[in-house]
Amino acid sequence: MNTNMWLIRREFWENRAIWMIPVVFGGLLIVAALFGQISIPTLTSPKVNREFAQVFLVIIGFLFYTVMSVYATWYLLDCLYADRKDRSILFWKSLPLSDAKTVLNKLAVGLVIIPLVYFVAADVTALLTAFILSVRARSSIGGALWQADLWWQIQVLWMYAIVTTAVWFLPVAGWLLVVSAWAKRAVMLWAVLPPLVLYLIERVFFGTHVVAHLLAKRLLGLPAVALKGSGGQSWSVSGTGDASTLNYPTSVWDFIDVRGFFTNPHTLIGAAIGVVLIFAAIQLRIRRTEI
Amino acid sequence: MAPLIEARDLTKRYGSHVALDRANLSVEAGRIVGLIGPNGAGKTSALRAILGLTHYEGHLTVLGREPFRQRTELMQDACFIADVAVLPSWLRVDQAIDFVAGVHPKFRRDRAVGFLAKTQIAGKRRMRELSKGMKTQVHLALTMAIDAKLLVLDEPTLGLDILARRAFYDALVNDYMDETRTILITTHQVEEVENLLTDIIFIDKGHIVLDSSLEDAATRFVAVAVGSDRLEAARTHKPFYERHILGKTVLYFDNADRDLLSGFGELHTPSVSDLFVAKLSGGAA
Repeated sequence: MNTNMWLIRREFWENRAIWMIPVVFGGLLIVAALFGQISIPTLTSPKVNREFAQVFLVIIGFLFYTVMSVYATWYLLDCLYADRKDRSILFWKSLPLSDAKTVLNKLAVGLVIIPLVYFVAADVTALLTAFILSVRARSSIGGALWQADLWWQIQVLWMYAIVTTAVWFLPVAGWLLVVSAWAKRAVMLWAVLPPLVLYLIERVFFGTHVVAHLLAKRLLGLPAVALKGSGGQSWSVSGTGDASTLNYPTSVWDFIDVRGFFTNPHTLIGAAIGVVLIFAAIQLRIRRTEI
Repeated sequence: MAPLIEARDLTKRYGSHVALDRANLSVEAGRIVGLIGPNGAGKTSALRAILGLTHYEGHLTVLGREPFRQRTELMQDACFIADVAVLPSWLRVDQAIDFVAGVHPKFRRDRAVGFLAKTQIAGKRRMRELSKGMKTQVHLALTMAIDAKLLVLDEPTLGLDILARRAFYDALVNDYMDETRTILITTHQVEEVENLLTDIIFIDKGHIVLDSSLEDAATRFVAVAVGSDRLEAARTHKPFYERHILGKTVLYFDNADRDLLSGFGELHTPSVSDLFVAKLSGGAA
């Protein structure tokens, strides 16, 4: 095993939550599927079957993605701070490991490894809950949830989401690492305070909302940039009560926008800022030892 | 042969505070060097600079490398134990061995395992479950298994009881030290290490007060106890420090004529701790 593999393993030793949270979360969903009250709409046609299965897979994915975002944020904010706080940084720095390597591996864990763990957990949970629901319902729903091609599409969507999330949130991750490498205490506060102060200064002195707009765009704007139709038109739920109609694009390939995402100036400028911030975090890691 | 560590005009500032002020020191291979000074004298700053953990001004080479720019390469041949608190609490003993074996090309796993086998420490224990003494043993096992040329110890026995301290230094001298290795120890407890050392460096208020081998110090410094009747006569030979004990005055001399001094009483070589007190108090007087 090479050094990078050891550095990643070490993160799993230190942060058992990386796999425990998705396992527990998936377990809860499975328990809910096992013992929860299920009311399944009457499925009338293959088309409705398919839509139901789609909603099911997307909801599971969305739940895991949301938990993952919260945990990955916390991880990145803590990863360079924790060993300065307990002084174990002196042990890690007594080994022939460069600070750049350390920081980049932690970044990779936060942006790639953790999402992959959640992706696997989401897959397993989706398969198990689909199986349980099928057995429990003993109806056409059973067949409805097993749609091999949909399942493959969800894999593609997850992979696309992991790649675009990693690139889009590079500046956010870089900022969290800078705070983590620099702050003497209260990392959460230091992560939030400077952007908030910038926002307030701008509002009070200039009366504009450029900072707020940029932050909102960065934190919430990924679907609009990564998916076709501004994230709203291809995906719609209309109607009320039991007469709801779900309109989805028929294939995942129709609404992921690889080319649009990677040529979007917001993506590219954000990534460039991210690289600068990560470089700054490495420099801080070299210079700052204990708290 | 070039010195293993060489510092010229080594300076470290924290804002307006100067922790190290143009310090010069050199450490030869194969020595056990004590870097000794009171709290806040600049010991830790000097070590941090030598280990590449902090930026500094002046010239410094360790094992032919510039520590701050080349810490990663330096740590192939140098290792250090900061103090007992620094092994992460979540780490298991076997994980620690696996990890160091995985990332350190000069780590010899069998040696670490062999050393730990002599202790009562199980591999599945986490650092947070171990006593300070046990943690020190683990850290020492990890460090001693590295084929390093330089071992730096910063207050390694802080907070340990006397049994654990003794075990630590015994292991260091018996199982680790040989002519290919060099050890640099900082401590403010001189008595604890004085039988171990071959060289001493005294540091006070950021200045190097003394950098000498023990043999040289033994020929250079001499102490003599003088009765009050002959005190004034003895003082004409310019002692750098005086100490009053039981009605007599012990005078400490640097490079004095021993034949002349022997007329005042029995000459003796001051211990490292006496010399430390004498140098640091005498320098101020």
